[in-house]
Amino acid sequence: MSAPTFLSVRGIRKSFGSVKVLHGVDLDLPAGSVTALLGENGAGKSTFVRILAGDHHADEGNIEIDGAPISFRSVAQSREAGIRLIAQEIADAPTLSVAENITLGAVPNRLGFVDYGAMRSIAQRALDSLGADLQLDAPVSSLRLGERQIVEIARATAGASRCLIFDEPTAALSDAETKRLFALIERMRSRGVAILYITHRLDEVFAIADRVCVLRDGRVSLDAKVAEVDQTAVVTAMVGRAVASHQDHHVYAETGAARLVEVRGLTSDSFFNIDVDVAPGEIVGIYGKVGSGVPELAGAIFGAVPHASGDILVDGKPVIFRHPSEAIAQGFGFLPADRASEGLLRPRSVAENLAAPSWRRLARGAFVSRRIETSAFGRWHKTLKVRSRPDGAERIATLSGGNQQKVLLGRWLEAGSKLLLLVEPTRGVDVGARQEIYQVLRDLARQGHGILIASSDYEDITEAATRAIVMVRGQMVAHLPQNEISTARLTEAAGGGAHA
Amino acid sequence: MPENVQATSAVPATTIRARMKAPEWGALLIFLLAEIVFFTINSPYFLSWPNIVNIITALSITGILAAGGTILLIAGQFDLSVGSGTAFVALMFAIAAQSLGIMPAVGVAVLVGVGIGMLNGFLVTVVGVNALITTLGTLAIFRGLTLSIGGASSVRITGFDWAIARPFLDIPLSAVLFLVIAVGIAVLLSRTVFGRTIYAIGANENAARLVGIRTKKTLFLGFVISGVCMAITGLVSASQLGSTSGTTGTGLELAVVTAIILGGTSLKGGTGSMFGTVLGLLIVGVLNNGMTLMNINSTWQQVAAGTLLILAVSFDQIRQRFIRA
Repeated sequence: MSAPTFLSVRGIRKSFGSVKVLHGVDLDLPAGSVTALLGENGAGKSTFVRILAGDHHADEGNIEIDGAPISFRSVAQSREAGIRLIAQEIADAPTLSVAENITLGAVPNRLGFVDYGAMRSIAQRALDSLGADLQLDAPVSSLRLGERQIVEIARATAGASRCLIFDEPTAALSDAETKRLFALIERMRSRGVAILYITHRLDEVFAIADRVCVLRDGRVSLDAKVAEVDQTAVVTAMVGRAVASHQDHHVYAETGAARLVEVRGLTSDSFFNIDVDVAPGEIVGIYGKVGSGVPELAGAIFGAVPHASGDILVDGKPVIFRHPSEAIAQGFGFLPADRASEGLLRPRSVAENLAAPSWRRLARGAFVSRRIETSAFGRWHKTLKVRSRPDGAERIATLSGGNQQKVLLGRWLEAGSKLLLLVEPTRGVDVGARQEIYQVLRDLARQGHGILIASSDYEDITEAATRAIVMVRGQMVAHLPQNEISTARLTEAAGGGAHA
Repeated sequence: MPENVQATSAVPATTIRARMKAPEWGALLIFLLAEIVFFTINSPYFLSWPNIVNIITALSITGILAAGGTILLIAGQFDLSVGSGTAFVALMFAIAAQSLGIMPAVGVAVLVGVGIGMLNGFLVTVVGVNALITTLGTLAIFRGLTLSIGGASSVRITGFDWAIARPFLDIPLSAVLFLVIAVGIAVLLSRTVFGRTIYAIGANENAARLVGIRTKKTLFLGFVISGVCMAITGLVSASQLGSTSGTTGTGLELAVVTAIILGGTSLKGGTGSMFGTVLGLLIVGVLNNGMTLMNINSTWQQVAAGTLLILAVSFDQIRQRFIRA
């Protein structure tokens, strides 16, 4: 590689208390090159990039920029060196305008007075380079998640940065937005910017990266040119063993059993006239990108968000859920899209999180003991392969994303739900745990559960679903039987409608 | 009796979560013991049974209100109206007692307390006003009502001195009542479905709703329990003083919140315990009592309690920074 190295990292170590997160990380970021950084949750990716961004301080190790040693003691120092981090969690100022957010931290001013003209032109230029059409004066709280992510990216790219670090930027973006982001990354690369791109998605690595670097257990387990590796090598480096690929497809055979739910003409602000059934043993995958109304549909079936018209039928009779507890009583279980804000009881124990919907049933009179919760957790701990203490006594916040997700799934198994409504079941879940979740879902379907997966990740559909529905802008645009489900068919159906 | 509360809360001591928490309680316990040792050395009277009873008796009103307050703060809510609520209940009781007699007046007091709790609960859960603002408003309203209806002078209450009776071990009934309520709330929080739902709502109200918890109903009930506590403290205060006035219960809301936070309940909700609150109450109570015995002016006790609160919370912040991975 002839490009000069912008940033060079040697022997970075970092511990939090007694927990060692990084055990000596070496990495070079060449100018004008995209390096993809992968690793399972807990591998130390976020800690590593926060050290580069000056947010954390390494316990040991050296950082060199342009060959000169440097030590970041603050975020400001890292920014001064030209490094910008686009973090995974959106950290904007919701009440401020788009223009103010883009120039946050570098407000153009004359003698300390804000230069609003310059602010608007800087913001407009940054948005133009992303091909984004947003109102400069709109408060960012009025934007949807993907648009807020665009504002964050615009802020990072507005200044003269020399190194951009993206931490899973596409999770909230639509297909079109992702394409424009990739085009921007291409332009930045040709301008000589060093780019570090963190992702869970292997297809993105092969689409935009020049080099791929994998972190496992706080060490670099793979550092190679993308052209020289294949998917299997990357996955093996991530999980430390070969991952069994999905040979075990569950095939749904019509049993004639009564449908667990029939949805007829369901309509709201986000989706129109939806018909969908789920029978025992079936895994119905509903695929749609951001803005398709797919997560809202799943929420409406559960009674978590209201719908305007249409019917939900259980045992052939229409039911109206005014509160999730009424859906739960009908045997429905719901895995929300956003684990942190809608799923987890973070300060509480793993066992308590699992038992939550079942407290009333498990109680002796009005009393629930920790012992009852522990035995409830014990019933599912092995089935779900949750990596935690066998009694589930630790706080759920200490588990990795995949294990948290398994516990949230276990909630509904303990509650005896027959119909599982799962929204983005593998979002923020690493490769190994992802396969385990798919396996659990197939097993559950075989045991007679009906499952509805609402997802913007086609892998969820291709791996688990026994039939698929594609939605675009709130409308169903395609029905695919199992033998026709493929990445190509899904993206084609989802993309075709959007540009129609 | 603290032993009793400890027994109900000692169950999780076998868990990692509790082991991570142990230093927090441990630090509070060590601080309490240090206070006790210090005051024992400085005052021979300090560790006598009558003084121990004094300490607990002085805590009883704050403690009963803190029991209801602990439920609310764990659920991520606040009740700042407890002090003026206590005064309003006591005044309504005194007025009703003059015309209706003692027993019907007790009924009136309970209704008034429950009514204040329902008003707070309605505003927070149905109308959707933030709890801090709601109860700041009702704090002002009921203090103002107490002053307007009761006037400047105090209202005398006769034939209602049960709270100062000492039927056994020389402990006044007000202190006994506090201990019973503390144990009751400790069990409610740590052992019942209602307690679990309170923690769940405080941890994540959204998630709690999606696992089928009737979050609004539960929070409403939490405010009503706080109202019942006001009814009880209004009656205890009326009985202890034999009168009530416009300044009864002034500043109680701060003493209550101080004790709960000192006891380790997070402002963010989802964590904390009644045992912690009792420790917080004792730390402030012992400090005030000891300083009085050492003839330190009571104005300095406020300075000490405020400093203690900030130190305790700072210590906890620093500790969490070390634990967090």
